[in-house]
Parts: sequence; C-alpha cells; structure tokens
Amino acid sequence: MDNKKNKKVLIVDDSRVSRMMIHGFIQEQRPEWAVREAAGGVEALAMVSDELPDIITLDMNMPGLSGLDTAQKIKERFPAICIALLTANVQEGTRNRAEALGLHFMEKPITAEVIRRVIGLVERS
Amino acid sequence: MELTDIQQDALLEIFNIGAGHAAATLSRMVNEEVMLSVPTVQFLKLAQAAELLGTTRRISAVAQSFNGPFKLEAILIFSENETLEVVRLMIGEKIPLHELTDLEQDALIEIGNIILNSCIGTLSELFATEFTSSLPAFRLGTSEEVLGAGCEPDDHVVMLLHVDFGLERHNIRGHVVFLLDVSSLERLKERVNHFVYRAMGTDSQGAAH
Repeated sequence: MDNKKNKKVLIVDDSRVSRMMIHGFIQEQRPEWAVREAAGGVEALAMVSDELPDIITLDMNMPGLSGLDTAQKIKERFPAICIALLTANVQEGTRNRAEALGLHFMEKPITAEVIRRVIGLVERS
Repeated sequence: MELTDIQQDALLEIFNIGAGHAAATLSRMVNEEVMLSVPTVQFLKLAQAAELLGTTRRISAVAQSFNGPFKLEAILIFSENETLEVVRLMIGEKIPLHELTDLEQDALIEIGNIILNSCIGTLSELFATEFTSSLPAFRLGTSEEVLGAGCEPDDHVVMLLHVDFGLERHNIRGHVVFLLDVSSLERLKERVNHFVYRAMGTDSQGAAH
C-alpha cells in the first residue's frame, strides 16, 4: 500500500505566519494531502473531534491551552495519534515532558527539512 | 550590587554562548551569516539603558519575560524601517508580498519568539535551571517606550545584558537585550557561581569532584 497518499494534517499554532509556512512546505512536498489549521488548543480539540487527522503539528507556547495541555487532552482520547511538537521552547524540561507524553519534539524555525521530518513521521507509521 | 570579576566574566560568557545559538538560529531563518558584537553587562537606570539603544529613532521590538530562580525580560530590537525586510528574508517566497505587510507584526513576533527562546534555552542549560515564559509581545516606539522607562521611578536600576547583531548583506542591525531587576541579582549570582564551580570542577566549598 502506498503510504504517501491522502494524509490529513492539522496545524495548530497561534501564529498565522507559522501556520502559513508549515502549510506551504507541506503543500510543496505533498500537494495531495489535506491540511487544516487551528489557531489554538480549544479550536484544535474541536477539530480533532470533528475529523481525526493522521498527524498534528502543535506549537507549545499559545494563549489559553498550552501545546502540552492540548496534546495531553488529545492523547487521552486518541492515544495512537501522531503529534509533532514544533516549538521555539527548546529547554530540556520541555523536551522531556513532550517525550513523556509520546510527542515528537522538533525545534523551530520551520524549514523544508523540518517539515520533511514531520512528513516522515506519518509515512513511516 | 556589583558582580565580581569572575562573576561578570562567567555571566558574559553564558550570555555570549546564548547569543551565539540565537544568531545561529537567525542565520538559518534568513539564510545569511549573522555578525555579533562582544556582549556587555552594565548596571543602569532604565532611562540610561534606553539612551544606550538610541533615543532618536523608532524601534520595533518583541519582548518576552522568563521566570525562573530570577526573572529576566528579553527583548529583540530592530529599527522600525528594517522589520519588513527581516520578515521577507525569513518567509521568502512563501507568502505573496501584498499579504506580507499585513502579517509583518505576526511574523516579527514569531521571529522574536524563536530567537529569544533559542537564547534562553542555552541559558537554561548553562544555569542548570528551567524558565517559564510569557507569550511574546510586540512593541513599537522610542527606546524609552519599548523599555518602559517612563513607567518606572527615576532611580530604578536594572542590569542590562546587551549584544548587537548584523545581517551584512542586507545592512540590517538589531539588538538583543536582557533586563534583570536588581532585586533578583542575588539569585542570579547564585546561579552564576554554580556555573563557575561546575566549570572549574569544584563544589561551592572549593573541593574537586
């Protein structure tokens, strides 16, 4: 089975520019993928309930629900879902908490290479 | 209130390493080498700190507070008329130019978020401590307005860590400043001393380990 076709991505980031950059790199590398965007944790939870994505890219530092809190709530309902924490907060404590939750920790800035690694997470699963 | 020579040396080295990592991050974002000045540390009134950054021009800044054993305010600063170029260098062709001006502030906040957190991530590792952070905030105005110099009593003293950086090909200059209220200074000194002892391979009593 071709694991590259028709994946669904949910981008969660309060920065519109970050969402546009992630969306742009994904569309360049996988134009057939369906990409949706949420500007925060609460919106993300609603969108995940509506339609489960194959992978979520999640910012850490957001107003309201933080990235880790959002991830925890999503993982409680959907333990197997693939979540990449794409964050500027590169402190070891954040990385450890992310990995303890079963998240893939990736550092901003958002580049084509970072998005290639995100794509690889879902295509290898 | 003063730092000893060794404390100042260690603090500047820690900040230098943090600024270096932040510069590397900025370099990856804009695909250009970033030049750094030698960092400095000074104890100043907030109004004097504002004068150091130049009071005649308007600046764009992203500010973020980091709270740990001591509290720091970190600020990334550009001249107001250079920020669109910085944003364009980061985003490249991804976003059409006509949309870019609408997104300039959002993009600058994201740039500041990444660079300031890159610096703090290094400080966190070297100080062996963790910081929580506020959301990054955009500020536009004179250096006095950006540093909030007008909101503090005239004799309010801060410790200012300062490094300049430059993108030579595009003639863009900026600053990263860290402000520490002197009420936090003793806690900062403790962490600096801890760093020095670890670096020298001793404990706080001078015994080797």
